[in-house]
Amino acid sequence: MGGAPGRLYHRAVRVVAYLRNAVRTSSFRRLVVCACVVALVGALAVRYPRSFLDANRTARANARLDYVDRQLGGGNSVLPDQSVALEARGRIPPGETFAVQVGPRRPGWPALATQGGVDTYLRYFLLPRRPSETGRWVICLACNRAAHPDATVVWQDAEEGVSILRRPA
Amino acid sequence: MTVRAVFGLAALNGAYLCAGVAVLWALRGFHTWASLLRLAGLSYLLGVALFGILWTELLVVGVPFGGAGLVGSLAAITLAGLLVGRVRRMAIPRGWPRPPPPWAVLTTAAGAALAGLLLEAYFRSARLQSLQSYDGWAFWVPKGKAIYFFGGLDEQVFTTTPGPSYPPLVPILDAASFHAMGSADPVTLHLQYWFLVVGGLAAIAGCLHRHTTPWLLWPALLLVAAVPRFGTRLVEPQADMLVDVLFVVAALLLVLGLRDPRSWRIAAAAILLAGATLTKREGLFFAACALGLALAVGLRRGEWRPALAAAVVVAATAVPWRIWYRSMGIGGEAPPGSGLTGSADRALDALRLSGDVLFDASLWSFLPFVVLAALAVTFVAGDRLLAGFSAALLGALFLGGAWVTYSFRDLPVTADEAVNPIVRYTGAIVLLGASLLPLLLASAWHGRSEGGP
Repeated sequence: MGGAPGRLYHRAVRVVAYLRNAVRTSSFRRLVVCACVVALVGALAVRYPRSFLDANRTARANARLDYVDRQLGGGNSVLPDQSVALEARGRIPPGETFAVQVGPRRPGWPALATQGGVDTYLRYFLLPRRPSETGRWVICLACNRAAHPDATVVWQDAEEGVSILRRPA
Repeated sequence: MTVRAVFGLAALNGAYLCAGVAVLWALRGFHTWASLLRLAGLSYLLGVALFGILWTELLVVGVPFGGAGLVGSLAAITLAGLLVGRVRRMAIPRGWPRPPPPWAVLTTAAGAALAGLLLEAYFRSARLQSLQSYDGWAFWVPKGKAIYFFGGLDEQVFTTTPGPSYPPLVPILDAASFHAMGSADPVTLHLQYWFLVVGGLAAIAGCLHRHTTPWLLWPALLLVAAVPRFGTRLVEPQADMLVDVLFVVAALLLVLGLRDPRSWRIAAAAILLAGATLTKREGLFFAACALGLALAVGLRRGEWRPALAAAVVVAATAVPWRIWYRSMGIGGEAPPGSGLTGSADRALDALRLSGDVLFDASLWSFLPFVVLAALAVTFVAGDRLLAGFSAALLGALFLGGAWVTYSFRDLPVTADEAVNPIVRYTGAIVLLGASLLPLLLASAWHGRSEGGP
């Protein structure tokens, strides 16, 4: 290899060799290690107190929740009315089946209060009760109650338009 | 939310620990009480993984899960470990080794105290935590409740909830927790994940303790427990943290085995990786990367049999669950097509997204940058095999994350966790990098390979 490219190449090789030797020296290696540890300790000095305070804040917020909020958890963002879940759990015997019917959205309902969202949440919350389209119990969120002429209303919150119906056996 | 439930959970986790101690004793023996204490975290993870693996296979063949089965299986694992250890005439712990220098004791005490303080704060935040995460109430916890109430892989719950192909190890742990607590209490359940965090950190610290120095170990370990992404998500009842911990501890054992190959390390890594494959779908990919690299190193050295045997064990444990869900008509875990049908633009966007997420200081602080610097200096001036193996494993995981975004074309190219799992996935890369960091820095400091028993 001759000419300018060759000279450039040989110069680059010398620079790389110099850098490699410099990095291999004990003092340089240890300097880099110390720099890494200083960076870690610096980040830790900032992050550790924040994480500790965040965890304390979360603990306080959790302790302030009432029993129902704590039991429902994510359900508070799904259900238009907390009581319907608790009433359903209290009234539907374990092992029985239920259907969920969600009617037209009402003002003030959470964004996740859809047929899919409520189905998914109540399946979790009401286990070991199983969801079934033909279930004996109907959890009705502003649904068309006329579609269940034989069903008995076992609980309702007329203001919120939610109710629990029991179909005849 | 009762004290009885908390004590029940503590007893269950104590039983995982006992089972793991017995198994680890059968694998390697304990010469001193200090080695038993040092490896208590690893023992605990082995107990959890073995319990989960055993019950996954039992549930697949239809054995009902109940309180008696739970106690019986943990007792059986413990007794089997003790029996094998006795037959193999493993060392019984006696005495304590010579104490390390005072500065090492002080640094370790300070690191452990800071870790303990942070974990205590996490305990208080987990103690009364309501179940908020969508994945938690949409499928992870319902599956656990189904196993608890119905005693098995209930077809309705396991085939109709979101993520039906997700493996059942975490729901099995949830069901065991419900039995230990006495009810399906989704609030106290968060403490089970706190125990897993404690076990994971103890396992990483215990595995690294003799292969680095305390002043290199604790800053990385404490920072990884305090980075924003982990700090807020550690105790959520989901599989992300457990799959990361199982994989990272297994990878650490494989990395330590590069310098000092011992059969117990690869056996323990195989158990943990088998657990990871039954914890979450990406566990399969993680295990394939780790064992593939271990096999490559083994081939170069002419010692490939242990890695191959570990790969066979991991594959064998992963298969029954996959057969079960296939038999239920559930689609596979692979992306549509060959996984390579996207455009070049999408590939570049996916790579850019993975890079942006990995180097996002608001998620992981400066950890990824420090890991890169440590890899570079170790490669140039330290143990090249260690640096090469670590870089290859981290690089494979990084590319795997980009491939997920690239190949699942319904995933938008965004870091929004509600629609793309890249942030959760990247947690494994960061945790692995942070756990390798003390080894890399120790190697660079000494400028040679750090051996150790």
